[in-house]
Amino acid sequence: MDVSLKMDEPVAESLLDTTNQNIVSQPVDRVEGPLKVSGTARYSAEYKFPGLLHGVLVSAPMGKGRILKIDAGSIEKLPGIVTVITDYDTFLRNPAQGQDEEAPEQGVRDVSYFGQPVALVVGESFEAARHGAQRIALDMRPDEGRFDFAARKHMAEPKKRSRKAQGDLDAALAAAHATIDAIWTTPSQTSAAMEPHAGIAVWEDNKLTLYGSYQMLASDRLQLADALGLKPEQVRIVARYVGGGFGGKLGISAESVAAAVAAMRLNRPVRVVMTRQQVTEATVRRSNTEQRIRLGADAEGRLTAVAHETITANLDRSSFSEPASASTQFLYGGQARLFLNSIVRMDQLLSASMRAPGEAVGMLALECAMDELAETLGMDPVALRLRNIPARHPMDGLPFSSRSLAECLEIGARDFGWSDRDPRPAQRREGDWWIGVGMAAAARSNMLIKSSARVMLAPDGTAVVETDLTDIGTGSYTILAQITAELLGLPVSSVEVRLGDTDFPPSSGSGGSFGAASAGSSVYLACESLRQEIAEKLGIAPKDLVLTEGMARHGNVSRPLHEILSGPLTAIGTIEPGEMEEKFVQAGFGAHFCEVGVNAHSGEVRVRRMESTFAAGRILNEKTATSQCLGGMVFGIGAALTEDLMHDPRNGAIVNHDLAEYHVPVNADIPALKVRFLEERDEKANPLFAKGIGELGISGAGAAVANAIYNACGVRVRDYPITLDKLIEKLPPA
Amino acid sequence: MTDPANAIRFILNDAEIALDTLPATQTLLDFLRLDRRLRGTKEGCAEGDCGACTVLVGRLTEAGLVYEPVNACIRFTGSLNATHVVTIEHLSVPNGPLHPVQQAMVDHHGSQCGFCTPGFVMALYALWMGTPQPSRTEVEKALQGNLCRCTGYAPIIRAAQAVAGEPGADPLVAHRQAMADRLAGLRNTDRIEVGSGKDRVIVPASVDDLADAYAENPGATIVAGATDVGLWVTKFMRDIGPLIFVSHLPELHRVSDADGVVTLGAAVSYREAEAALVARIPALSGLWNRIGGEQVRAMGTVGGNIANGSPIGDTPPPLIALGATVTLRRGQERRTLPLEDFFIAYGKQDRQQGEFVESVAVPHLPTGEHLGCYKIAKRREEDISSLLGAFRVKVEAGTVTSARIAFGGMAATPKRAKAVEAALVGQPWSEATVLAALPAFAEDFQPITDMRASAAYRLLVAQNLLRRFFAETQGRAERLVRQVA
Repeated sequence: MDVSLKMDEPVAESLLDTTNQNIVSQPVDRVEGPLKVSGTARYSAEYKFPGLLHGVLVSAPMGKGRILKIDAGSIEKLPGIVTVITDYDTFLRNPAQGQDEEAPEQGVRDVSYFGQPVALVVGESFEAARHGAQRIALDMRPDEGRFDFAARKHMAEPKKRSRKAQGDLDAALAAAHATIDAIWTTPSQTSAAMEPHAGIAVWEDNKLTLYGSYQMLASDRLQLADALGLKPEQVRIVARYVGGGFGGKLGISAESVAAAVAAMRLNRPVRVVMTRQQVTEATVRRSNTEQRIRLGADAEGRLTAVAHETITANLDRSSFSEPASASTQFLYGGQARLFLNSIVRMDQLLSASMRAPGEAVGMLALECAMDELAETLGMDPVALRLRNIPARHPMDGLPFSSRSLAECLEIGARDFGWSDRDPRPAQRREGDWWIGVGMAAAARSNMLIKSSARVMLAPDGTAVVETDLTDIGTGSYTILAQITAELLGLPVSSVEVRLGDTDFPPSSGSGGSFGAASAGSSVYLACESLRQEIAEKLGIAPKDLVLTEGMARHGNVSRPLHEILSGPLTAIGTIEPGEMEEKFVQAGFGAHFCEVGVNAHSGEVRVRRMESTFAAGRILNEKTATSQCLGGMVFGIGAALTEDLMHDPRNGAIVNHDLAEYHVPVNADIPALKVRFLEERDEKANPLFAKGIGELGISGAGAAVANAIYNACGVRVRDYPITLDKLIEKLPPA
Repeated sequence: MTDPANAIRFILNDAEIALDTLPATQTLLDFLRLDRRLRGTKEGCAEGDCGACTVLVGRLTEAGLVYEPVNACIRFTGSLNATHVVTIEHLSVPNGPLHPVQQAMVDHHGSQCGFCTPGFVMALYALWMGTPQPSRTEVEKALQGNLCRCTGYAPIIRAAQAVAGEPGADPLVAHRQAMADRLAGLRNTDRIEVGSGKDRVIVPASVDDLADAYAENPGATIVAGATDVGLWVTKFMRDIGPLIFVSHLPELHRVSDADGVVTLGAAVSYREAEAALVARIPALSGLWNRIGGEQVRAMGTVGGNIANGSPIGDTPPPLIALGATVTLRRGQERRTLPLEDFFIAYGKQDRQQGEFVESVAVPHLPTGEHLGCYKIAKRREEDISSLLGAFRVKVEAGTVTSARIAFGGMAATPKRAKAVEAALVGQPWSEATVLAALPAFAEDFQPITDMRASAAYRLLVAQNLLRRFFAETQGRAERLVRQVA
């Protein structure tokens, strides 16, 4: 049976609050954990096919120009070379943005960024293909490129429909008791998922199967079909295990199209694995940003003006611009408001969504501006935030669906011992370390995306869940098993979850923190329908049905499922966003508190402890949710202190295109992190009453670090990351 | 038919491998994943940064069979003769019970996307075999060479500390002697030479044989730990054959401590050196803990760090400060020179064709002298130094009577700060002397600006490190203690 729900109304009651199986919300172990710890989970590059060929992408060694000729003859005679695949029109200029339903820009004769893939060398072995890709002769005409953001930012053009304004900003700032007007810059970043992009394309009976490392298969399939001129029905994508995404695998990228073109031409399966350097140079990045924030407040610390203007970079004709003010728009009040994004056109790698696009870098600016404002006002930073929590959305007046920001701030401050803080900077010294504390709020919009799942319940008390959702490390397998087990009264071990295959019902995919809630709701609806069917068979009202331990109970009667079901029952559930997202502001909230040390001699920064409190509706699995937050907080620490993807302004090459030089935090950079969830339910969000959690942890985390650095040593660095060289000259006398 | 006397022979999990043909620069990771289809070991970076490819390599030492974590992505297959390679597949059988280390990773949610997981499991397995109930510090040290982008590390640390079970029942531990015997039978008594021309692997039978082999093949590349040379292949695609492997030679692993001098054979790994050197000179311990990660310390050698002559190698500055000497050998000829004189210019060392580094001799720090050693890098671990300073002073009756100060990252070679030394010697060891000596840094060094640090930063911090060193000798500086769960 197919059932669907459009979220036009709040859900009065969630079955998860009444089934009492005590499975949802519990810290259930990751169900695919044993496969992963034993190395037997199969990632995209690891499928085996007879006759498999190996492709290696040829990267353009220039930042801008035109390919005149790719001389296949120059490598044809090397051992093991099968052929050189060139398809100037079909190869992707750049990856697709997440959720796009069409191919991204195609065509590689013109090179738009350094390292752009322009051809594929196919060999009998990986080594042979790689050798060929290194040696192939390219006849190129380099052109002058646009590589210097600082020199070009004055040419930024406003992004369409990004301007939002209210009231008279200039007047409000002029009349304010205290103001902040400053510019923060954040560097380019790369997702650096541990698994490089990889795909195997198999062309058989006019159908393409791609084993690819992607996050959102339903839209990836449309993009891939469009890129290749195939019908969507001719394309299947399989991604059962994905070694991390963080936005880097939202849309299809060069390796899958190249593999597909090669497989279709050669009629043999072709595998293309990107090197780490290619992943960094030729997939996507988070744009660097320049953000101007203006705040005005009255003498009591009430905001009267809030402006957040952002300049980002992107390729020609790519409209994405990191929405840095996303949470600024609703987090705090203040009548006069201005938000705007502008784009500088650069010949650099595509800018796209990386974990928490918007908040991840926007909160680095806003929450430091709030810290500076609190200091100007002589107010406690927590008190300043509490004072400015708006009753409704400050611009459109919508109410919040659920919001525990004040509780997060208050409880977080209490647990951390915030009241012990000396607001004066550079007061606390331990040996040659300056010690300080800082805090920041967290906010990340909650989204619901149309999503479907099929649930089959067998008479023997086992269930199978199928949806094309991916598990990129988030815990999708586990959460969907828990929801099914809870609602059908089965042990988690009796539920098999099958993910990552476009042959299954299409889902939201993984991204934007919406995977668990969207796909989970579709599973919920399917299970609810199965419960109704069982109740009908028993001739009772669904609300009187108790499913537990593989039995159906009502009143004093208890019967095993195999007595009730003659065969398997199947239902497909579909959830869709509706009026609830137009009538309510939906977001998760939190508060970070952090303590750092800054070395008086070297300027090195060490985060000593970080404690964060979050509220995001129902927590579906305490273990996976905690890990999502920890991982997000570590992203935040990386953004504050180490992560900085550098383009060479002379030729556009990415200088630090590997894991040695692009510094994701190592374990020793991370101190004891504490995550606390506050109890919350959001009946406007979805039937699970849950909100997204994957990106909330990063939001504001880095700002708490930056504010702690200021408190420690009295130096404000508004140019992220805050590396030792930016601190050293301004440190107080050692 | 494989000629057993002229093949690379080792044990892979349970299987005996004999390779009489192999590409000279094939990595162990490619051998595992592509030739043997053991896909549990992952490639995340192909240059020894991320640890996803961690496997154990067991090798015979004077103390018996030792298992160490190594980065399979930069370890050459040809270097594995008479070793036991253990991969994630060896820890449990499909659908069978998990190994206690694996189970702990499941229980504590130490795996998310799972791609780094096999590497973490193997690093923890190596730790657990020797230290079943590790302290937090030991866990953190064992995991320095593994990157994770999902978990935030804390769940993995918790897993490491919660591993149940005693290693006694573990097959590797239980059968250590039998395996040691098997490996002893695989040791080569004659030179192994596989392949031809540049695509050739040479495994000498002894140091004397190495001297002969290098004399016969002066264009060959000598490979010890491959933590640097491996990248010449995987990252720079350089053609470096033929390769002469030396890390299996017991003579080159010898460490002696006699007459006030610690002598390290050229193949002594950082890990092996730690026991002798750091125990003798504790001021080196902070630095030693920040050289690469455990995998790099298990593979990489002090001799290699010197021989490659990098201006940002971690060991030359402290060894120069300690007055170390290096012994070079060609054929039967040997010569010994002060380490500082070995480094001539960027990429150029005082090493003649056919000469190789045979040993390094490090004098003890005389009683009463001060030594300070500081690595400054953007990231806490697994990072190349922005600069590294080593300071040694002798203070008698309040006066500096000698000073040896050396830096990495401040010039094209590891280099002494002779002007600073001169400004200190003969002066009282005081804040005033230190401040007066600071301008001398600009005489000694004109550092460059690169992405690791600006010239101005380097110069300023070099000065500040002298101040920190002085503060430490006065008991006024302390290390920051990171709060941990």
